[in-house]
Amino acid sequence: MSEAPIVEIRDLHKSYGATPVLRGCTMNVNRGEVVVVCGPSGSGKSTLIKCVNGLERYQSGSIKVEGIEVGAKDTDLPKLRSRIGMVFQHFELYPHMSVLKNLELAQVHVLKRSRAEAAERGRQLLKRVGLEAKADAMPVDLSGGQQQRVAIARALALDPQAILFDEPTSALDPEMIHEVLQVMTELATEGMTMMVVTHEMGFARRVANRVVFMDAGEIVENAGSEEFFSRPRTPRATEFLSKILSH
Amino acid sequence: MLDVITRNLPFLLAGLWTTIHLSIWTIVGGTLLGAVLGILRYVRFPVLGTASMLFIEFIRGTPLLVVLLITYFALPALLGYKTTAYNAALLGFILFTGAYIAEDFRAGLRSVRPGLIQAGLATGLTRWQVLRFVIAPQATRIVIPSLFNQYVRLLKFTSVASIIGVTELTGAALLINARDFHPVTLLGAVAVTYLVVCYALSMVGRVLYARFAVRT
Ligand SMILES: Nc1ncnc2c1ncn2[C@@H]1O[C@H](COP(=O)(O)OP(=O)(O)OP(=O)(O)O)[C@@H](O)[C@H]1O
Ligand SMILES: [Mg+2]
Repeated sequence: MSEAPIVEIRDLHKSYGATPVLRGCTMNVNRGEVVVVCGPSGSGKSTLIKCVNGLERYQSGSIKVEGIEVGAKDTDLPKLRSRIGMVFQHFELYPHMSVLKNLELAQVHVLKRSRAEAAERGRQLLKRVGLEAKADAMPVDLSGGQQQRVAIARALALDPQAILFDEPTSALDPEMIHEVLQVMTELATEGMTMMVVTHEMGFARRVANRVVFMDAGEIVENAGSEEFFSRPRTPRATEFLSKILSH
Repeated sequence: MLDVITRNLPFLLAGLWTTIHLSIWTIVGGTLLGAVLGILRYVRFPVLGTASMLFIEFIRGTPLLVVLLITYFALPALLGYKTTAYNAALLGFILFTGAYIAEDFRAGLRSVRPGLIQAGLATGLTRWQVLRFVIAPQATRIVIPSLFNQYVRLLKFTSVASIIGVTELTGAALLINARDFHPVTLLGAVAVTYLVVCYALSMVGRVLYARFAVRT
């Protein structure tokens, strides 16, 4: 079976002013796949993942999402984005809205669902992430782990084809990391396509199909996760792994 | 001593009432104008954004009295329309207050974290939808204290309208004083009245802020 990849990145270049940040990245995310992106701080992981849904622009190369060029002038970015969820390091829940309203907003104004439908779907998803009791709470009254689970539910509310995660657990206290990884693992098991920037190597090892290792704006390795962890091919990946696994 | 007040009470109360409705209309108009200009500045709307900026800079560099003289004498002469002292003052106060409020709104809009904007965009909301549903509601709550600061300032500034002949509270007191000459009592009473009204107004601001503030 040769279904086209959901995300197809070809020779992507981006710089901030004179500083190159992405220097010719090429990778795919296939349907149903979980791809972990890792690498040292400043290597360009966030930039890469934000290029995928057009939150960052790129200077050359190509990104196709479900076959549509993200950077093309006539691309309907809102529509493209509504099909690709995103979860951020700092949750980014709308602080002036209740948890349920957070989940309803884009359903109503992007997908044009009715309030009632949106609320219904919102409650379903809150239940799924174990937070149905918090529907009417304000985000500030939730713990970090709860906020991140709400953020995942918010992404799921649009029934996305894939979800991008940018370090979803790095802002969390250790005891809350687990509850978020658990939800992500369940999603993966159900076949959700995921591109995940993370330093959680345990998650990468258990859940990811592939690991992409970046350094200084380049994709240095792109391998099956088993292979990446047992036989990293480059010294840079070896060094990164030994550093990150040693604590 | 106080009988200069009691004797002229209806006239003074009429003046106070003028101060109050002049302020209320200015608050309504100035807030609307400020919101529009602030948003145009914030989104850097082509041409209109720059025009807003120039207007705001002009007003902020011009004394209030000069603004009122412009709306009373210069604008009607220039554009060929008739106006009253009250309407000219109202227009002047709206322009004046609106320019300051615009900067408050812009600061409020800018204080919303970029991450929240990205989160809104990432769900497929358009830039305008993000502005409307994510940024503006937070900015509005954030600016409540600065808005009420402007309102209180404005309420006191309305006394300047007496110079172009509006018989608001100060104007009324000055007229009575010209006839009866009791400056200490009259201006004392006027000052206390402003104090009380301003205090009440700022309390309203505090209550609203306590009620609507976004906790983060
Ligand atoms: N808005 C910006 N302007 C200029 N330089 C930027 C900007 N955003 C990021 N950079 C630079 O681009 C490089 C890549 O940043 P990016 O955030 O993608 O790295 P990262 O791999 O996500 O790092 P981290 O693990 O710290 O999140 C860094 O050197 C960073 O300093
Ligand atoms: Mg990052």
